[in-house]
Amino acid sequence: MAAQARVRLLAGGIGCVLLAAAGLLVPVTSSSPHAWESPEQAAQRAEREVPSLGLLWGTMRGWGRVGPGWTVIWQPSHGAWLLTAWVPDGPQAIRWRLDAAPWLPGVRLSHEAAEMLMGGNRELARARDRVGRRDWLAGGSRLLGALPAGGELPSAREPRPPVIEAVLAGLLLAGAVARHLVPGVPSRGWRRAVGWVTATLVVSLPQISPLAPATFDPGVRPWVAELAFGTAAVLLLGALVFAARRFAAIAGPVPVAWLPVALAAGALAGRIAPATWLLAVAGLPVGLVVLAAVAVLAGWLAALAADGLRELLRFSAALRFAALVLLALGGVAVGGPFVGVALAVVAGAAGERGGGIWMAAAVVWGWVFGSVWALAMWASALQDALAFLLLGCGVIAVAYLRRGGEAAGSRVTG
Amino acid sequence: MLAALALVAGLALVRGRGIPGEMEAVAAAREAYARLGYQPLGDPKAKLEGDQQVAWALERARPGPTGVGLAWGEGGAVRWRLVFPGGGEAQVTVDRVVWALRRPVPTDPGPELFPSLARPRIAAAVAAAVTDPSAWRLVRAESWREGGHTWERGWFLGGNGPLPSGWRRELELEMVGSSVVSWRRTVHPLGTDLGVVAGRMSELRLLRRPALLGLAILVVGVFVAAAEAVAYRESVALLRGAGYGALTFAAGSLAADSLVAAPIQGVVLGVVVALLPGWTDLPRGRARFGPAAGVALAAVTLGGRALILGAGGWMPVTPPVAADIDPTKLLAGSWAPALVEEPLLRGALPALATPVVGWWGAALLAAPVGALLHPMPSVPLLASLGLELVIQASLAVVARFAGVGGAVLARGTCEALLRRGSFPLGAEWDRVALLGVVVGTVLLLWPRRRE
Repeated sequence: MAAQARVRLLAGGIGCVLLAAAGLLVPVTSSSPHAWESPEQAAQRAEREVPSLGLLWGTMRGWGRVGPGWTVIWQPSHGAWLLTAWVPDGPQAIRWRLDAAPWLPGVRLSHEAAEMLMGGNRELARARDRVGRRDWLAGGSRLLGALPAGGELPSAREPRPPVIEAVLAGLLLAGAVARHLVPGVPSRGWRRAVGWVTATLVVSLPQISPLAPATFDPGVRPWVAELAFGTAAVLLLGALVFAARRFAAIAGPVPVAWLPVALAAGALAGRIAPATWLLAVAGLPVGLVVLAAVAVLAGWLAALAADGLRELLRFSAALRFAALVLLALGGVAVGGPFVGVALAVVAGAAGERGGGIWMAAAVVWGWVFGSVWALAMWASALQDALAFLLLGCGVIAVAYLRRGGEAAGSRVTG
Repeated sequence: MLAALALVAGLALVRGRGIPGEMEAVAAAREAYARLGYQPLGDPKAKLEGDQQVAWALERARPGPTGVGLAWGEGGAVRWRLVFPGGGEAQVTVDRVVWALRRPVPTDPGPELFPSLARPRIAAAVAAAVTDPSAWRLVRAESWREGGHTWERGWFLGGNGPLPSGWRRELELEMVGSSVVSWRRTVHPLGTDLGVVAGRMSELRLLRRPALLGLAILVVGVFVAAAEAVAYRESVALLRGAGYGALTFAAGSLAADSLVAAPIQGVVLGVVVALLPGWTDLPRGRARFGPAAGVALAAVTLGGRALILGAGGWMPVTPPVAADIDPTKLLAGSWAPALVEEPLLRGALPALATPVVGWWGAALLAAPVGALLHPMPSVPLLASLGLELVIQASLAVVARFAGVGGAVLARGTCEALLRRGSFPLGAEWDRVALLGVVVGTVLLLWPRRRE
């Protein structure tokens, strides 16, 4: 019997891996550029290549992916200034910018930095020190030690209308109401999973703060910025734990046969439209843990929205199928960074209540893996992505095994 | 007994608190005009204005009454702007330093200054503007022709004078012919003194964001609860909700400069109050005790600030400069936060979270959210946050004992007493600040049915 179980577990796992691999083999091209180095490596490169600016950089505080490069920030513990560097993936020059608290009159740039800003002008004559700033004179031109200093940095893409976010938020509210109005047996497993994942994230918060570089402001001490980020994160996570109890996922049979398909579809979606922000997560020292936590929480939320969608489409079986297909196509077309979540909602709504959460979680799991696999090209992220995929496959295999065991048990009882 | 105590304590808290010197400022301005040979006509329209960061930076640089004196005097951080109906405008600090002044161009401004004599005459004219002319040095002068007269303008540096080391005083003076027609003083703070205060204010603005996020999450929960209440046909207090929403909207509109937030607040609070009868886990209301608790909270807040100062920390002594000086601003500005925040933090949050974490757990969740909403800058920063946390925890105790209505009355009374200091001295302002205390006294003395 134990040998049979092991064979079943192995078969489930291998089948899952094969389908995920099939999702990876479909030839698609992503519009987002690959990241060839981790944010840590990018920061080390910037520290090597950007000239000494004449003031303390402080500790690296955060990073984010912007276009074909990493934006990395440094701030000293007094918080009076903030150095931002954009490190491109290729051999192009690193761009940097120094912002300081509004009450500082200016900056005293070093000779090297001034020379760089003046386009490598070798005739940089002399510095003229003024109150709180240093100007540099070169020939007939003058470089003022005013703030901000440095060049322009590339910014993130133009914001698009938040249509998909608004739809998802509406579906979440509908799902919350639906779970109350149409009660079922709560799934203790999912409630515990959300609780444990949230607790893990709270413990990991000090390592996660680099994901919020916008929190760090010149003139604000970094510990206060980290406190603000931590407080916001705790509030959000607390709300999720509360929601997981109050709007609990419904227990039901696990659609084990469909889970590998959902995982593969998610991986394919991640490759077609990868979520760039997941790259920043993959750059964390605790990247694997945070990726898993994000997948569980996003899966749970997608299932909540899916419950809302299911109840909204309950009026006609024929129209429900058409609407789900249309929504899936619409999600792929306009989903952008939310395409995986949109597909997860549709996948969750397509099944029955108890199994919907598994489908949604599988799609999100695949999407997270596909995004990281499609974009990250440094070794540790790829290793994490593989471990993440195997973890997902393992969970599916265990579900497959349990389902098999339950079926065998019912046959014996029968 | 409690009513009498609350009334006496409330009177003691408002007595002598407020920005002094409107009449004195008018007199100082008239004296300065008289020195220039001009008599402004009519009673001026007075408006209080100030530079909050400079005021607190001076207090930080020179702790205690010295810093307050500088902020109200030579620092020029808190000033009365006086506009005379017959022409002439002056800015006079609370301690009677004529900070800026402009008079109409005289019909006979006197003989025009000979170019070689202009500079010494401009340098000598600074004596009309400051009390320590020897400390001021003319650094630049210019002249031009306009409107048939020769105009002269001089820029003076006054060192730091009585201001802390590293600060700089500047003055710009204008003459027409040989008559002084205007001057304006400015102060350049030392970067580090200003930086401590400006930095703390930026940090508190940043810390406010997660608190607003917490309130937003709470509002989402309220709307889900409202949808459930409609679906299950639960009893809701629609009229009471609509009335409270209208009151909140009115208070928010009067308190704020823009009308963006008030309608949203009105709708959300209307829904919250309408749902209150369905939230049976909430404590029963004994709102009459709220104002007395508010007086106690105001006393604790003022005492806490004194304690932080006494322990070697720093907190502002002078209250924040009010953006608009009007009794309705004091009334609405004090009661709007109470009307908006208390039903959410002491009503909706405990009602939604009690099944999961219990009433006290929910109340303790609300305290840090409330503490991040309106703290004052301090050194160390945690001192101010700690004091706010104490106040919020106390409001939770008040809500447990006196209900959500009691917490609203306590918070409004407390805010009004604390904000009283930002407005001018005068009985009409005292009456507005004591409104909550009076309401509490009436409620406490009102004959009750035997329970």
